[in-house]
Amino acid sequence: MKRFRALAIPYVIWAMLMLLLPMLLIAFYSVMKAGNSVLPFRLTFAHYIKFFTDPDFLLILGRSLLIAIKTTIICLLIGYPIAFFISRSSEKMQKTLVLLITLPMWINMLVRTYAWIGLLSNDGIFAALLKFLGFKHVNLLYTETAVLIGMVYNFLPFMILQINTALTKMDKSLLEAANDLGANKVQTFRRVIFPLSISGVVSGITLVFLPAVSSFFIPKLLGGGQYFLIGNVIENQFITVGEWNFGSAISMIMAIIMMLSMMAVRRAERRSGEEVSS
Amino acid sequence: MDEKRKIIEFKHIVKNFDDMQVLKGIDLDIYENEFVTLLGPSGCGKTTLLRILGGFIEATDGQVLLNGEDIKDLPPYKRELNTVFQKYALFPHMNVYDNIAFGLKIKKEAKDVIDQKVMKMLKLIGLEGYEKKDVTLMSGGQQQRVAIARALVNEPAVLLLDEPLSALDARLRKEMQYELKRIQQEVGITFIFVTHDQEEALTMSDKIVIMKEGEIQQVGTPQDIYNEPVNRYVASFIGESNIVDGRMVKDEVVRFDDIDFECVDKGFKPMEKVDVVIRPEDIDIVDKEKGKMTGIVSSVLFKGVHYEIMVETVPGTTVTVNMHVQKNSANVVSEGEESISANDFYLDLEDMEGIDEKEIIARADAQAWIPETDENISIANISTDLKQEVGEYEVTFSTSNGTSITRKIRVIDQRVIENKKANEAISAFNFFKTIDEIQESMALDTDLRVWANAQAWKLTDEDEDIELNVDYDFDAESIHEGIYPVTFSTTGRMFKIHTTKYCEEGKEVGLSFQAENIHVMEKMGF
Repeated sequence: MKRFRALAIPYVIWAMLMLLLPMLLIAFYSVMKAGNSVLPFRLTFAHYIKFFTDPDFLLILGRSLLIAIKTTIICLLIGYPIAFFISRSSEKMQKTLVLLITLPMWINMLVRTYAWIGLLSNDGIFAALLKFLGFKHVNLLYTETAVLIGMVYNFLPFMILQINTALTKMDKSLLEAANDLGANKVQTFRRVIFPLSISGVVSGITLVFLPAVSSFFIPKLLGGGQYFLIGNVIENQFITVGEWNFGSAISMIMAIIMMLSMMAVRRAERRSGEEVSS
Repeated sequence: MDEKRKIIEFKHIVKNFDDMQVLKGIDLDIYENEFVTLLGPSGCGKTTLLRILGGFIEATDGQVLLNGEDIKDLPPYKRELNTVFQKYALFPHMNVYDNIAFGLKIKKEAKDVIDQKVMKMLKLIGLEGYEKKDVTLMSGGQQQRVAIARALVNEPAVLLLDEPLSALDARLRKEMQYELKRIQQEVGITFIFVTHDQEEALTMSDKIVIMKEGEIQQVGTPQDIYNEPVNRYVASFIGESNIVDGRMVKDEVVRFDDIDFECVDKGFKPMEKVDVVIRPEDIDIVDKEKGKMTGIVSSVLFKGVHYEIMVETVPGTTVTVNMHVQKNSANVVSEGEESISANDFYLDLEDMEGIDEKEIIARADAQAWIPETDENISIANISTDLKQEVGEYEVTFSTSNGTSITRKIRVIDQRVIENKKANEAISAFNFFKTIDEIQESMALDTDLRVWANAQAWKLTDEDEDIELNVDYDFDAESIHEGIYPVTFSTTGRMFKIHTTKYCEEGKEVGLSFQAENIHVMEKMGF
């Protein structure tokens, strides 16, 4: 066994290098600027200072976090009942439903988002439906709502699959035990099923929140030019403006924010576990 | 003893899963303050019965009464029963205290009442000071105790235990048996315990219910069931026993192995076929003149407190046949690219009826092949002048290319050796083989049985095959042409005896037992 483990070392080193190198490079870019001919790089925190002193950037950062939080909450509210329903159905039905949930992922995300432009446009079916219901000024595309719809649509499967996994792997005899000890369906859910599915909820939140916060093509396509998120700013800095250093600094700031928020979520998970049991 | 109150009544419970009938009409009363064990092999329906009582599955037909009321429409959470599950099913997100307190919290009992009750339970199961422990980090035995406490704290009328000890190791299981019995006596409620382990059932129960294939075989105290099993199944399931076929000559006289014995059983028809049970510890080994029957000690095993001695009272039946060993090339004909081989063989006149070509090929072990490529080819044609009469006939096997070999079939009137005392018959045939065939055999004993077509069966039931031992004194490695005897034999009648006195192997001894140690049972109807 030991001998074989040694064989994995080169692979581990390679994988770590390939994972770490780009990140180290970004961290490096974020704290330097072009120097003179003697010293090509100079250390600076100017990019960070620039970000935090510009109210426009802070506004966009706030807006990005807010829409990611909204997306996550909506995904959780829609996803949990769906996942619960799937986990309660027969084994054959479960397979079919999981397949249905993953089916859209077979098509490129970009293409699917493009499809939403058609659906949400002023002569699309949603607008027609709303007009039919009596709404006067229907304008869906290029609004925050459109971006939110796009994000929920794209990230919901991750939430459902994570929660469903946690629910289906739960030992069924625990539910019988709760039932046996006098808990009805609601009490069983509140005291046993939900607390034991928290791990799935947390990984679901992680898998939705992280891509939602840094997504750039969904706001670009569905929010038009008007709705700028932090992902778009980074993209802009790299591609349009050519300010790689500033773009890297924003990326680093985002990475730290995400890390902190994940730590907060895990903390909350632990606390909720204790609460239910006490 | 006071009249006990019925707490649970099963009334003709039937349960079907798809088209399988798992329970075939169970009628059973369970009383207050009893330790009842449902005992049976897996698949006998004992767990199904328990789950119907717990409310986790519904009976197809029949009624379950709890305190005289039908509980069919009560969901599990409204039943005054609690279950200890096979794999404990403790809530992994709660500590010991919260697991035990679960049912009380659901009932919204006051905090101090919960506290008191949980502490009392922890004391009962001997886990004081463990209330804050993570249940997932506890040992199997500790988890088991918590599961029992979690159920008992709700003060159920009946506690159901579904093979709760099966996941524990042997030593811990023993300990928990005493523990469970103690807890049951202390709390004084009815325990219904499901197990497939007869020892568990015997040590703990007030009442044992033996089940088989969805039916109850016997209900009784451990003593009743051990001493007075109603049939062969119960006798062999509970404890060790010698079970022999016998006939009831008249009341209080049973005959087996051609000897009449006094017994205490009556009420059978004259000469009715019965099963007779004698427990190994009820037989004494005495001098052969003083025994009720005699036999030869065939094996002695030391078992710690006692010896387990096997005594053969009726010798087995034997038959010896001749194996004709031939030169290697004797049975092969080669022609062009093909080779073909076959052996002479003996055939019983009785077996002539319905013999077909396939059977003849098998008995002659006829084979054809191409030596160069080692490829087998089929035998296309068989011609024979075989008649249903004792005599010698010729049979010719040939391939489609015309390579052929001619062999002899010797039809004989086979003598079957009958052993009335042991209720056995045995038969075998002489046979012809080449040295190669013997040396290439991978499992010579099995092959010898096949080659000689050796068979043994019960005289009373020809379909019941009896295992045969094979005996020979040639060495396959260095065998050469000639005739060798091969002996086939049955084991005979063995009695198992548990005694503290040592006895030499091979010694002729007498067996002695009292009339009340013989237990006569009705034959099981099938």
